Amino acid sequence: MDISTVIAGTRFDNPVFLASGIVDETLKSVERAIKSGAGAAVTKSIGKDERAGYVPPIISELPTGMLNAVGLANPGIDDFIDEFKTSSLKEKIVVSIFGKDSEEFLELAKKVQDAGFTTIELNLSCPHVKGYGSEVGEDPELVEEIIKELKSKTNLKVWAKLTPNVTHIVDIAKAAERADALVLINTVKAIGVNIWARKFSLTNGIGGYSGPGIKPIALRAVYDVYKETGKELIGVGGITTYEDAIEFMLLGAKAIQVGTAIYYKDFKIFNEISQGIMNYLEMEGFGSLQEIIGLMVK
Amino acid sequence: MKFSNIVSVKKIGRDFFEISFNIDSEVRAGQFLMVWVPGVKEIPMSVSNLKNPITISFKAIGETTKRLSAMRPGDRIFYRGPYGNTYPDPKGKTAYVAGGTGIASLLPLISAYPGDVYYGMRTAEDIVYKNLVNFVSTDDGSMGFKGNVVDLFIREKRKYDTVFVCGPEPMMKYFHDKINRNEYGNIYYSLERLMKCGVGICDSCSINGFRVCRDGTVFDHEQLNIMDEFGTVRRAESGRRIFLK
Ligand SMILES: Cc1cc2nc3c(=O)[nH]c(=O)nc-3n(C[C@H](O)[C@H](O)[C@H](O)COP(=O)(O)OP(=O)(O)OC[C@H]3O[C@@H](n4cnc5c(N)ncnc54)[C@H](O)[C@@H]3O)c2cc1C
Ligand SMILES: Cc1cc2nc3c(=O)[nH]c(=O)nc-3n(C[C@H](O)[C@H](O)[C@H](O)COP(=O)(O)O)c2cc1C
Ligand code: FES
Repeated sequence: MDISTVIAGTRFDNPVFLASGIVDETLKSVERAIKSGAGAAVTKSIGKDERAGYVPPIISELPTGMLNAVGLANPGIDDFIDEFKTSSLKEKIVVSIFGKDSEEFLELAKKVQDAGFTTIELNLSCPHVKGYGSEVGEDPELVEEIIKELKSKTNLKVWAKLTPNVTHIVDIAKAAERADALVLINTVKAIGVNIWARKFSLTNGIGGYSGPGIKPIALRAVYDVYKETGKELIGVGGITTYEDAIEFMLLGAKAIQVGTAIYYKDFKIFNEISQGIMNYLEMEGFGSLQEIIGLMVK
Repeated sequence: MKFSNIVSVKKIGRDFFEISFNIDSEVRAGQFLMVWVPGVKEIPMSVSNLKNPITISFKAIGETTKRLSAMRPGDRIFYRGPYGNTYPDPKGKTAYVAGGTGIASLLPLISAYPGDVYYGMRTAEDIVYKNLVNFVSTDDGSMGFKGNVVDLFIREKRKYDTVFVCGPEPMMKYFHDKINRNEYGNIYYSLERLMKCGVGICDSCSINGFRVCRDGTVFDHEQLNIMDEFGTVRRAESGRRIFLK
């Protein structure tokens, strides 16, 4: 069964990708995900300058997923490129970048392009760092300007990753119209409280909620955006089984990403979901993955 | 995040402490907890005694460990875990090679299975668990062999079926490089790296794609052969590579 998928003209062997920020700070871990069966792997979000991130606790385990506030820890674009440029798997590595304005995004994107990568994912959605991520991604004009700048001044395929922490995600999706694909969703802005310490669960207080508990929120975002824009979509949020992946595909996602599921199932998750998708398509009498994408929205 | 009321706090050496408390899950040799001092930080700590009340043994070197050392019986200690894989049970004649606080991780094995214990420290004043140790080295020669514990181990020329090693990464790297592999059976190392999540998702502890917190902390000699970053590349909190000499 063919489960390859084409996103913005690029073909991927399978539609199960590694999400940004989960075991992808080091090149060897990113390559491990690909060798374990990920169709593509998105790197941790990289900015202009080195950031140490927040002091632990940076994660808090919940019965329905997890909270995190890693704080965009990253080595800075130059050290990142130095490490990642040696990879022989570049066509399967998508570089996630974050910046505060179009100038910063462009500077980062050019370095990524010069290092031989072909696709970037824009982190317009991290909920817990001031001045970055969702603070940029909540502003439709800024989103439009950043994508216009990147599409006119680089040859990169641009995936824009959006935040669910807005009143109308479709408005932001429309502002990101020029992106080659949209990635939905980043974590849901959230707080955890420890009543026995009378402190926030995370050092940063505010964090992002991920894992099974956010899947219905992500499905809603994919459905609304697919219906309203028809854009190429990549679904992410709480996917831990092939059934979860199929749900996203029926609502319009051409591929999916897994993050928190690594915590539950480790690297075997990629092959497990791919195999499950193949069996499902066969069992249900479909000829290819393509046939189910957006099936429930037409 | 769970918490427990501390049963005892003991000072067992210079800046070296043991805290005991009851936990509600089973811990196995080699595993660690993430211990949280609210308002300060969350840090990894090996479990040095596995039976309730379990024990953590540590050196007060920074803010978190100093705050822990100042805690009193009845105080709340916050933790999550246990995490990580475990040491396999030793077979045959066994040696334990420890450097500094690395001995904490080996203590559950040392107290369960007889074997020769080699312990290296900076100076005689740092000695802990003296009655468990067979061979001592100090950097300054103030007690036992003058030099590092790896050279002491090699000089003793004893044969072992199983060897366990835990200490600072440069010491373990030196051990890995120096010993004559053919003279020993299985050799296991428990690695220590900067850890933020403890559960295998943040990648801050990874060496060549192996996460010390989840794929380890225990690796065997042959696994380390294929990790060229072991002992040569460290990671800053940002993930930036720091090349060691
Ligand atoms: C799996 C694991 C198990 C551990 N078990 C134990 C244990 O049983 N007993 C014990 O005493 N310690 C143990 N450690 C080390 C312990 O976690 C650190 O000592 C602790 O994080 C220090 O926190 P702090 O805030 O007190 O000091 P900080 O203020 O964070 O650090 C003080 C100084 O120590 C250095 N430092 C911090 N962490 C390390 C490290 N991991 N290796 C080398 N230098 C470091 C810092 O660079 C700094 O110079 C373990 C570490 C790991 C990864
Ligand atoms: C620990 C952690 C770190 C993350 N870091 C990033 C990041 O750097 N950039 C980004 O775009 N998303 C980041 N995310 C969000 C994920 O990529 C994903 O959108 C979200 O977790 C929902 O998917 P999941 O439920 O499969 O984890 C992070 C998530 C987690 C749990
Ligand atoms: S500490 Fe996060 S992956 Fe090991």
